[in-house]
Amino acid sequence: MAWSAPIYVYLWLAGMAGGSYFAAFLVERFAGAHNRGLSRLATQMGVFPALAGVFLLIIDLGNPLRFWHLLTQFDVYSAMSMGTWILIVWVIVAVVMSILYWSEAHASESATRLMQRVGIGLGWFELALSVLLITYTGVLLATSNRALWASSILLPPLFVASAVSTGIAILVTYVLVVAQLTVTHKAEYKVPIRQLTGSTEWLIPIRTIGRLWEAEAIVIMFELIILIGLVTWLGVSPIAGASEALNELAFGKLAVPFWIGVVLLASLIPLTLDMLSPGKELERKGVFQAILASSSCVLAGALFLRAVIVVGGQL
Amino acid sequence: MAKARLIDVSKCIGCRACQVACKQWNNLEATPTEQRGTYENPPQLSSNTWVRVQFRERPNEWLFRTQTCMHCTDAGCEKVCPTGAISHQGEVVFIDQEWCVGCGYCIQACPFQVPHKDETTGTARKCTFCIDRITNGEQPACAKTCPPNALQFGERDALLNTAKQRVQTLILNYGYRSAQVYGEKELGGLHTLYVLTDSPTVFGLPEEPKVATTLVGTQWLSGVVAAGVIAVLPFWLLFKRKNNQNHEENSDAGGGR
Repeated sequence: MAWSAPIYVYLWLAGMAGGSYFAAFLVERFAGAHNRGLSRLATQMGVFPALAGVFLLIIDLGNPLRFWHLLTQFDVYSAMSMGTWILIVWVIVAVVMSILYWSEAHASESATRLMQRVGIGLGWFELALSVLLITYTGVLLATSNRALWASSILLPPLFVASAVSTGIAILVTYVLVVAQLTVTHKAEYKVPIRQLTGSTEWLIPIRTIGRLWEAEAIVIMFELIILIGLVTWLGVSPIAGASEALNELAFGKLAVPFWIGVVLLASLIPLTLDMLSPGKELERKGVFQAILASSSCVLAGALFLRAVIVVGGQL
Repeated sequence: MAKARLIDVSKCIGCRACQVACKQWNNLEATPTEQRGTYENPPQLSSNTWVRVQFRERPNEWLFRTQTCMHCTDAGCEKVCPTGAISHQGEVVFIDQEWCVGCGYCIQACPFQVPHKDETTGTARKCTFCIDRITNGEQPACAKTCPPNALQFGERDALLNTAKQRVQTLILNYGYRSAQVYGEKELGGLHTLYVLTDSPTVFGLPEEPKVATTLVGTQWLSGVVAAGVIAVLPFWLLFKRKNNQNHEENSDAGGGR
């Protein structure tokens, strides 16, 4: 099998990085600047899975020391070439934005204003890169000759939805776990972020987390609809190998991880928990635990999804 | 004039001389074999088996097919290669072993399951069309050695004419109604052509092979559209619209006071 664990973990991590930035940036743009802490958190936090993804991509190469050969080519037809560039530029922009955030605290007022303007421009650029990054994880597989991956155009949308749900899950988990003891008052969470120049605390409104929780349910529903569409298409598609791929997925060697990991963990359990515990009742006893349990299921389920798809395509 | 090789399955006797000649000329290690209930061995092409004869058994008939790289004009492996290590050298689809990073993308893109990753070199490897021989006016080792001349090397146009005449003979004189030429138009024209006595699927060949990147633009678009849908539903709906509604409700309540 040419692609195994390093590749599906890499796709999962890249999706998590891009998906969390995508979600946090949109929240800040739509809900207002008081959510800036969330997008800054996503920017800094995303660097780690993205770098881990680059590391996995490199060690999976037959010749890891030749990694730089990938940087000598920019080929729009090769998803891997595009993906390498997107991922690297994504990390560079995230690091530059993080440096800008760190610098703000120590700069003069006019310099801070300038940095904030540059930060907004970079923020939009990073959003575009995030969309391409989470799309790329699906396109990489879809531009192949494996029936499971390439029979339809539903794999990129499936991975996009899964990346966004993963991104929301990691954000919510981080905020709740790190900030659970630092709820200053009922309106906001304090999220301590250790910075180069010391520790800073960003405030993230509780209401934002509650709504992200509601958004998560809708994204998971969207993901489930695409998954059903993909499975149905594999069943009826006249393309050679499509129905065999479905059989492996649903009834063959991958049936257990598919039904338990993808259908239950990534979709049905989080959806049920989301419906039983409305986000606006975040303070209610049990809701907090339900959100954490649901987010953990989403994170594990997304990894199962990528594992099942990557392995299933090569059987 | 482009060169090609023609494999006439109706003449193949399954002797595997092509398989052995390839190993010898290219200095490829032998592969340990095992009894799998078939005369066919090894079970698939690999990084050190670039040519192999597939054995299929039907009542009163053997179907043999020499499986190797097709050297496609529109080669999916070349299109997806992220480093440019795979290129066309004339009609030969060639993997530069000094430049290949071993990412495995060509393996996923090939519709004929030809390239394989070599654990020792860390690179993808496959048939080179004996480029060292053909650039010196020789035939590839597989064609040179074939005892019944089922595997021929020459000008592609001339081989296509030969193939078409042979197909007519097979249909009219031998009753192979589904006999056909494979490779004339597929993927822009293959440089490994076949005379088949039955449909391609019977011989394990795809009826309509596709270049892996055919839908690359649509695939990107589908992902971006999905991201757009998610941006509106739920993000715009929950964060922008609800916020506006809350503000309106608050200002209404304030006005009434």
